[in-house]
Parts: sequence; structure tokens; C-alpha cells
Amino acid sequence: MSNYTRRDLLKTLGAATVAAATPASALWTNMAHAADAKYQVTPEKGAKLRVLRWKRFVQGDEDLWNANTKKFTEKTGIEVRVDNEGWEDVRPKAAVAANVGSGPDIIVGWFDDPHQYPDKLHDLTPLANYLGAKYGGWYDICKRYGTRDNKWIALPLGIVGNLLVYRESHVKAAGFDGVPKDLDGFLKLCKGMKAKGTPAGLALGHAVGDGNDWVHWLLWAHGGKMVDEKGNVVINSPETVAALDYIRELYPTFVPGTLSWQDPHNNAAFLAGQCSMTNNGISIYYAAKNSTDPKLKEMAADIGHAHFPIGPVGKTTEFMQITQAMLFKYSKFPNAAKEYLRFMWEQEQFNPWLEASIGYVSQPLKAYEKNPVWTVDPKHTPFRDVAQGLMDNGHAYKLGAASAGVMADYILIDMMAEAASGQQTSKAAAERAQKRAERYYKI
Amino acid sequence: MALHKPEPSNDAGGDMNYLVSMPRKVATIYLPTTVFLIVLLFPFYWMTITAFKPNEELLSQDGNPFWVQSPTLAHIKKLLFDTSYPEWLWNTVLVSVSATFLSLVCSVLAAYAIERLRFRSSRFIGMGIFLAYLVPPSILFIPLATMIYKLELFDTRLALILTYPTFLIPFCTWLLMGYFKSIPFELEECALIDGASRLQILTKIILPLAVPGMISAGIFAFTLSWNEFIYALTFISSSEMKTVPVGVITELIEGDVYHWGALMAGALLGSLPVAILYSFFVEYYVSGMTGAVKE
Repeated sequence: MSNYTRRDLLKTLGAATVAAATPASALWTNMAHAADAKYQVTPEKGAKLRVLRWKRFVQGDEDLWNANTKKFTEKTGIEVRVDNEGWEDVRPKAAVAANVGSGPDIIVGWFDDPHQYPDKLHDLTPLANYLGAKYGGWYDICKRYGTRDNKWIALPLGIVGNLLVYRESHVKAAGFDGVPKDLDGFLKLCKGMKAKGTPAGLALGHAVGDGNDWVHWLLWAHGGKMVDEKGNVVINSPETVAALDYIRELYPTFVPGTLSWQDPHNNAAFLAGQCSMTNNGISIYYAAKNSTDPKLKEMAADIGHAHFPIGPVGKTTEFMQITQAMLFKYSKFPNAAKEYLRFMWEQEQFNPWLEASIGYVSQPLKAYEKNPVWTVDPKHTPFRDVAQGLMDNGHAYKLGAASAGVMADYILIDMMAEAASGQQTSKAAAERAQKRAERYYKI
Repeated sequence: MALHKPEPSNDAGGDMNYLVSMPRKVATIYLPTTVFLIVLLFPFYWMTITAFKPNEELLSQDGNPFWVQSPTLAHIKKLLFDTSYPEWLWNTVLVSVSATFLSLVCSVLAAYAIERLRFRSSRFIGMGIFLAYLVPPSILFIPLATMIYKLELFDTRLALILTYPTFLIPFCTWLLMGYFKSIPFELEECALIDGASRLQILTKIILPLAVPGMISAGIFAFTLSWNEFIYALTFISSSEMKTVPVGVITELIEGDVYHWGALMAGALLGSLPVAILYSFFVEYYVSGMTGAVKE
């Protein structure tokens, strides 16, 4: 579990200031040669690999991934075929591959996928240790998702940042100079924006990314959690009720319709000018920036990104999508696959790929914080630090089938939506969530 | 007690004329039909206008959302030339036609055997086939995936052509059993007396009479194959092997950015073949569903 406190934030800001004052090339040289980590595997002769990954978020991501793969083939002679699937559809395919014992050698999946079938995956500990030593170490959240029983069962590729996206002028008009850092201030901002006719809107429908991300933050910010350290379901708690009471006050400030919003709805509503603050990746900003419509271009200049406020627990409690590569034991060429992963995660390949992903994906290894993509446009910069304060969806117990089941069943989002809409009292919504979650954690 | 006095009639229609008075017609026929048509056709209308709306108009709050201000073919162009849509369409046609044909052949033989051969436990087998239809594909796809991998059919069209009949055959068999049951047995008895074999009876007597039933079963099978998603998603990985329902979702959704125009164009073009098929065979289809040969 990560404990990213205000103190850590100050340290990071200090480090970032030093980094900003130092020439980037010098930092790169220092970083690359600081660790004399070694890792070597001998790929099997005649190896051929098949990789399944999620479909691009931006064209550059896919282009660079394929270019790096081609480079790998040219260098090693190992043929690699990369297939793509919609990001939500990779998960069932990975589950089928794990269960039937056949399929792509490497699958780039999501969240706690590796923890659902850890015995079907190759141990990637030597490779992860090598990369960690060479590139400044893995973020805590990456260790949490990538390891099980002190073994690396997946190689984190990155985090799809999800921050508050807002119209700077509308926030200012509501009387605030940016998004407040505390929950009370955030509520006041939303009320102020509503009063000015420029409301916020955060998804309360079954939105896998946007919905899950912000409701987890809200619950954890109040000190609530789904399970305790022993795996007991404890969602029906005073802290949860406090979070639900908060959302009951927050929800009336939203633009109508958020109860049915899924992942694309807030993008459309924001770009259409229906709402002036939501939570999202960098995609809204890019859609506005790259549009040929002058109104949207104007909007892009007015877009700001901010981290979620900190609640009574006194530390960042954000939750975002993590993506990681899994190497399956059924692979006939595990060494070739490991070599492919090493190659793709090395700075010569990873940095251009990260840059081409224009901020959609944030790095899993600390050294890549220095990638120019984070400073080329100041609106990108908040996405650089998303991995630092993240928590995982299994909090505070281990990740596995139960944590995946609870999230796939949208228990948390439903609880928040029921309380927000007034369909249930805060207490009743928490009780219902408790009963639903217990079914998963009983197994 | 006052007696009800019949309303005077204006024409030779007599006492039944009240049934066709205009207000009643409007209330009982035109209004419900109009409501039904609107509910049924609105999604197609929305799909069509979205396919021709430029992106700016899709997001715009100005103007009439139910009409296209400046139509564009950009989404159709993107769909046809920037994605593998033509290949997906070809795959979908190939898979649907093959799976439908295969299923119909099996179903005709199964339904005829169960209805006419009168072997022991034929009723139970008929019931068993129907129950097999009730097993949802979301449960079946994991064992089927194991078989597909073992047979080394993964990522081939054959994987779909051979798995779709698992849900098509039970339905078609069940539908054709009902149809065969309504064909008079005397016709077969006459043929038997004339020395026809079972196969001759099936091909020369029963099948020509059962054409409407087979068309119904065929259309159903074709539509189910055309729209199938979960097997196509699980058993196919390569872009060039994908079918339309899976292909459009993979290519036209980038994270949380949905290319609505191209998605709707894909759905529109994808639904046309099914609509055309229905329009050609609608009469057979209706008679296939409502009964068979009248004695």
C-alpha cells in the first residue's frame, strides 16, 4: 500500500525543482549509468512470439510500439506478432487464455488480472529487479499490482492517468484559484460552479475507468474501505457513511444525467460545454487541442488538470487504471518473451513510446519521470506524478478474484449512486454494498 | 332498463361498420402502428444521421439534433478506407453463411428424425436439443475455447463456423420440428406406398413443403451469426480475421474516445444485409412462424 503524504509531495516538488534546474541530458546520462544492473537470457532458437495488447489510446502509442517491436525483430531475428483488442475486451481474453492454457505468449492486461491466475504466469522477478535497479525503481503501486508473495508476476507498463479536468475560467468565476486541496473546498467549488451555470459532472454510471476512479478516491479519502487487512468486508462503516453523506451534498451540484454516464459521456459533455469539471485522462484536452473547431481550440487553452483533493485521512487516495504485461507459462518461448519485455522497457524504446503516448500513459519506473513529454506542455505535467499517490482496488487486503469481482460488479459505484440519487439512505446503501461484497470475499 | 340501440349504418357494411370508423381506426390501428414504428425505427434513424454528421455537429448544442446541418461522408470514408471494415464484412458474410448452411443441414436431419422416425426416446432427444439452446454462450465459451485451441483452430474463421452451430442447431431444430409436425403424415405414407426411400421422401416431399420453415430458421440463424460477439471476441485475435461486431469496437474506440460517426456508419452498413434479407423473405418468414401446410 502506498502512503503518499503531504510531506512526500513536498519532497517530490523539491526534487522536481532540482530536476528542472538541471540539464535533462545530464540527468539521463547519470540515470542510465548509475546502475550497473545486469540481466541476460538466451532466447530459444527459432522463437516466434505473439503479443496481445489493448488497442491504442492514441495513434502514436501504436505506431511506436510496433516500430519498437520491428526493431526487436531486426536485432534478434525473433518474429513478433502484435494483436490489439479493445481495452475492456483484453481481460476476458486473458482469462480464457489462462484457463485453457493456450493463447498469446504475452498479454498486456489491466488492474488485478495477474492476481486472478498467478500460477499460470512466469516469474519475472529477475527482469523486474534489473529494470528497477537501472531505472530508479518501481513506484509502490506498481509493486503492489505486479508482485505476489514477493515474486513479480507481471511487468507494469504504466498508469492511465485520471485527474480532475476543469475549465480554468469557470473555476475562477466561481471564486477559486484552481481546484482546492481539501474536500470542503472542493464541495464549495462545485456549489459555486453550479450557481454560475457551469456545473461539474463526474460519472456515477457503470464507467469502468472514470466512475471507479473517483468513487474509490472519495471512499478512501474519508477513511472508508471495502475490506480490512484480514479480508473482512468492512464497507458498512461510519467512514463510508461520511463519504456517502458527502456525495449526497455533492451530487446536486452536478450536471443532470451523471447517474447513467459511462466512460465516454463525460468527454462528450465537457467538450460540448455541458459541464466544466470532470475526471478524466488527458484525452479531453487532446480532443480539444487537435480539433479544427476554433471553439474547441479556445477551450483547450482554458483546460486545467488537477489532482483530487485530500480528505480527512491526510494523504492522497487516488485510484487509476494500471496496465501490465503478463507472460504465460504455456508460452513455448519464455526466454524470447522475457527478452522482448526487457527490450521494450529499456529507455531507448520506452522513452520514445512514452513520448508518443502524449501523456495518456504515465511511467511505472521513476527514471522516466524525466521524459520531456511531461514538460513540453505545462498541462501535461500533473499526469507525470499520477503513480506517486495511488492506491489499489484490493485495499487493504490482497488483490485477487474477490477484488476483481467486487469491481466488475460495480458495488462501489452502485453504492455511491444509490446514496447520491436518494434512492437509499447513506446507511442503507452501505449495508447493501456490504452484503454484495461479502458474497465475493466469502470464497 | 333501457335497451342499447344500435347505431345507424351508412352503407352496406351493416352492423360491423362501427369497427372501421375513422376515429376507431386511428385509435386501434394507425396510432399504435405509428408509435411502434417510431420506437422501432428511431434507433436506425439516429444511427443514419449520426453517420453523416460532422464531429463538430455531434458535440454541438446548437441547432436541431434530429437533423444533419452539413452532411459529410468523412465517417464512411474513415470506416471503409482507414479500417479493415471491408475485410470484416467479408469475414462476417463468410462465417454467417457457412454456419447457417451447416446448421440448417444438421437441423433438417435432426428435426425430421425426431418427428418422423419414431425411434425410442426421440421425444427426450428433442427436449434435450431444446434445453441445449438454453445454455448461455457466456458459459459455453470456455470449454469451447479449450476445444478450439486443441484442434488448432484458434484465430481462424473455421473456429466460428464450427462453434456458431452450437447455438444455431438447437434453435433451428426446435423450429423445424414444429414445422415438420404440421406437414400431413399421409403425404409421406403415399410416397412410402409408391416405394420412395426415407431420403427421397425428405428431399422430394418434405423439404419442398418446408421451404417457409427453412427460410425462417435460416434467417434466424443468419441474424444470430451476424450479430454474435462473445465467440468472435474470444476465438479471433488477428484484425484481418475479425467480424464486424468485434472489429468496429476494436478499431473505432480509442480508450474513452468513441468515434461515434464511424461507429454508427459501421452499424448502419452492417445492418443493411440483414434488413435486405428480411425484406426479400418476409412473407415466407411470417408463414414459417405461423404454421405450415394446411390439410
